[in-house]
Amino acid sequence: MKAKINIIRERCKGCKICVEICQADVLAVSEESNNNGYFPPHVKNPDNCIYCGMCEMFCPDFAIWVTAIAQKEVVT
Amino acid sequence: MSTNTKYHLETKEQRNIGTSEMPLSCCNGVHPSENLLQVSSIPSVWCVGCGIGTVVNTFIQTVERSDIDFNKICVVSGIGCTGKVAEYLNFTSYTTTACDLFEFAANVKSKNTSSRVVVFSNNADLLVSGAADFINSAGRDDDLIVIHINNIVFTITEYGIVPASPFLRISVDQNFVLPFNIPHLAESYGVRYIARWTPLRAGWLMYSIMDTFAKRGFSLIEVVSPCSIYCSASDTIGDSVEQMEFYDRHSVIRQGECTENLDMRANNRIILGKFVDKR
Repeated sequence: MKAKINIIRERCKGCKICVEICQADVLAVSEESNNNGYFPPHVKNPDNCIYCGMCEMFCPDFAIWVTAIAQKEVVT
Repeated sequence: MSTNTKYHLETKEQRNIGTSEMPLSCCNGVHPSENLLQVSSIPSVWCVGCGIGTVVNTFIQTVERSDIDFNKICVVSGIGCTGKVAEYLNFTSYTTTACDLFEFAANVKSKNTSSRVVVFSNNADLLVSGAADFINSAGRDDDLIVIHINNIVFTITEYGIVPASPFLRISVDQNFVLPFNIPHLAESYGVRYIARWTPLRAGWLMYSIMDTFAKRGFSLIEVVSPCSIYCSASDTIGDSVEQMEFYDRHSVIRQGECTENLDMRANNRIILGKFVDKR
C-alpha cells in the first residue's frame, strides 16, 4: 500500500473519469449516492495503487487526491 | 477552512495513517491546492463530461509546480461556460462583459507590468464578435497567455453555427460554414507561441503552459474540448468518458506542423502539437 486515496463525496459529479483513467483497477463506482444524487467512486483495491496521481490530475471538481505513505525500510 | 470540515467523513485514526512527511493540509482532509480555489462555489456548474474543469485543474497544478508568484497572476475570463472559470479561482480574477475580453486583459497588463495575465476564452470571445479585439491584441503583441477552449459549438443557441463548427455540420436552419483555422489566423498576425491540445493530454498541456510562463509575449494555447450538449445531441458519441476519449482517438500529435494544414475537416484527424515557438 503505497498511497492513501482521499475522496470528498459531496463534491463529486459522477463523471467516472477517475475510474476509467486508473490503470491499476483501484477505484469503482459506489452504489450509494451522495446528497446531490450522483454516484461517487470508492476504493475497491487499495493495495494496487501505484501512486501515479492520474485521478488527482484529471478530476474536474477537485474531489479526489492521493497522499503518499512512507514505506518501512526493509533490512536485508 | 471551516466550510471544508463538514465534507470530511473519516475518523481520526484513518487520518493518522500518514507520517510526518505528509504536508499538513493533506492530513486534515483538505485538497492540496485548496488555497487556490474558491471552495464555497465548488462543485462547478459545468456538465458531466465537459473538458473545462480538467483544463482548470491542469492550470492550477501547473501554477503550483512552477516557481511563479501566486499574487502576480491575474485570470480574466469572458462569457458563457468558460466565463465561469474566474469564479472558482482564488487569484485576482474577473469576468468581463461580452466580447471585450482582450481589451480588459490588456488594460490590466498595462497598469501592472509585473503581473502575468491569463485569459480563458471561448469561441464567442475569440472568433464571433470578439475577433477584432483578438486580432488587435495579437498585432500589438500584448503579454497575455491565452488558453482558448474550443468546444466547436454555441451551447447557448444549442444547434447554432459558429465559425469553428465542423465541416458538413448543418444547423436546424440549414446553415453551414467552413471551419475556421485559429492557429493559422494567429500566426498571420504574428503570435509567437501557438499550441493545440485536448483536455486528456494534460501532461502536454502542462508543459505548454509552463513554457508560456517562462517567456514574454502573446501566446495562444488552443484546447479542443468536448461539449456534452453537442455530443449527446448528435447521439453518435457515448456518455462522459467516451466523449473525452473520442477527441483523443481522433487526434494525432505532429510537432511543428505547418499551420495551413490544421483545419478540422470531416474524416481528418485533429492535429495536435506545438506549432510555432519563435520567442
